[in-house]
Amino acid sequence: MNDIRSVLRAYILENLLPGEDPSNLTDDTELKESGILDSMSTLKLVTYLEEQFAIEFAAADLEPANLSSIAALQRLVQSKL
Amino acid sequence: MQLELSEERTRLREAAEQFARSALGKDLARRERTGEFDRDAWRRCAEFGVLGMPIPPQFGGMGLGLSDLLAVMEGLGRGTRDQGLLFSLNAHLWTNSIPILKFGTAQQKDKYLRPLCDGSLIGANGASEPDAGSDIFSLRTRALRDGDGYVLTGTKMFVTNAPVADLFVVYATVDPALGATGITAFIIEKGTPGLRVGRKLEKMGLRTSPMAELIMEDCRVPASQRLGREGRGVPVFECSMEWERGCILASCLGAMERQLEECLAHARSRKQFGKPIGKFQSVANRLVDMRVRLDTCRPLVYRIGELKDAGRDATTEAAIAKLHVSECYVKSCLDAIQVFGGYGYMTEQLVECDLRDSVGSTLYSGTSEIQRNIIARGLKL
Repeated sequence: MNDIRSVLRAYILENLLPGEDPSNLTDDTELKESGILDSMSTLKLVTYLEEQFAIEFAAADLEPANLSSIAALQRLVQSKL
Repeated sequence: MQLELSEERTRLREAAEQFARSALGKDLARRERTGEFDRDAWRRCAEFGVLGMPIPPQFGGMGLGLSDLLAVMEGLGRGTRDQGLLFSLNAHLWTNSIPILKFGTAQQKDKYLRPLCDGSLIGANGASEPDAGSDIFSLRTRALRDGDGYVLTGTKMFVTNAPVADLFVVYATVDPALGATGITAFIIEKGTPGLRVGRKLEKMGLRTSPMAELIMEDCRVPASQRLGREGRGVPVFECSMEWERGCILASCLGAMERQLEECLAHARSRKQFGKPIGKFQSVANRLVDMRVRLDTCRPLVYRIGELKDAGRDATTEAAIAKLHVSECYVKSCLDAIQVFGGYGYMTEQLVECDLRDSVGSTLYSGTSEIQRNIIARGLKL
């Protein structure tokens, strides 16, 4: 689980929040409504996670609630392993 | 990066230009007025190999790299004023052939690529909707799962080639609540029950490229016609747009070259106040600006070819080229009209036709504003 979390944090900080203080990104930071994840970045993140963990998400897996925070994404990835 | 074309690419460009001069643009003034697609020219382009250039030989193409194709498109743009036809060719290649090659199943490639290459199928793209233009991922066309297929319902807007197309790549959402991750691409054949081409749309420019609405009413499509994975239509669409943004401008580049040559010839031969108008600094400066624009545009277009041929991402670079070339093209078209004066404003010379066509380039494949958004994203802003 920690590995998934660190992969998620590293990706988001590097690609979506460059220059941001890492301590401001918590497991519960709202990703969708805050605009951190928009349409394109959601697709890129999902594709990255599929490649990184050799998993495949169905369209229905990607409902907003499952993408809302690092904690939610962590649970989603874990459910596919 | 290489600033000069290699000898081989120069030959390709020249061959394309010669072909375009001899085979394309017939009766253009009339067809431009009436908005008539040149099906014979389409067939000639297929025979020349344009439609199969980026497609591997096993699927009926030539397997050329993007840089080669850019040289051909530049030659075509230089050799004909029928930019509408070139726009249709681009739409066919980047929204049908390439996505099917990149995302299609073995069966889809076997079935569609060869006829798309030989010109017997014309492809069209159904993405934009009445309320989803630049915000394309807000599209409303629904694809409801129904047994081993989907039922599509919705209306597409600005569908290039629709009135003459045999094949449509259409985007729909399997669940609007999923946003971009619900969007799914489908290949739909003309004649599929529930699919119909709506009213033809009249345009300011690119008038020889037919455009219409596309309407789906309970249009049943088997799952085997889905292009790519369910919910992964966005990568298909982005692939289309990246190739289109990169390539469609090569023909604009050719058009700008032709335009500059025509303006130079006119400025040297047209005399006012006892000397050629090109000797007046105010006219010469326009021609200088046209040349500078041309020279700044070419490397941006060919850089995309180099990146894509090397298998690298060119999202930001394609947006930079699209933004710069299209806006330069409009400015140069306005300059051309000023250089030609009253004759440039008359429709029979078709100088003004270039201007009307050029305005489209700042809108199609993403407006200039959208290109700036993409570039800003590339800057991680």
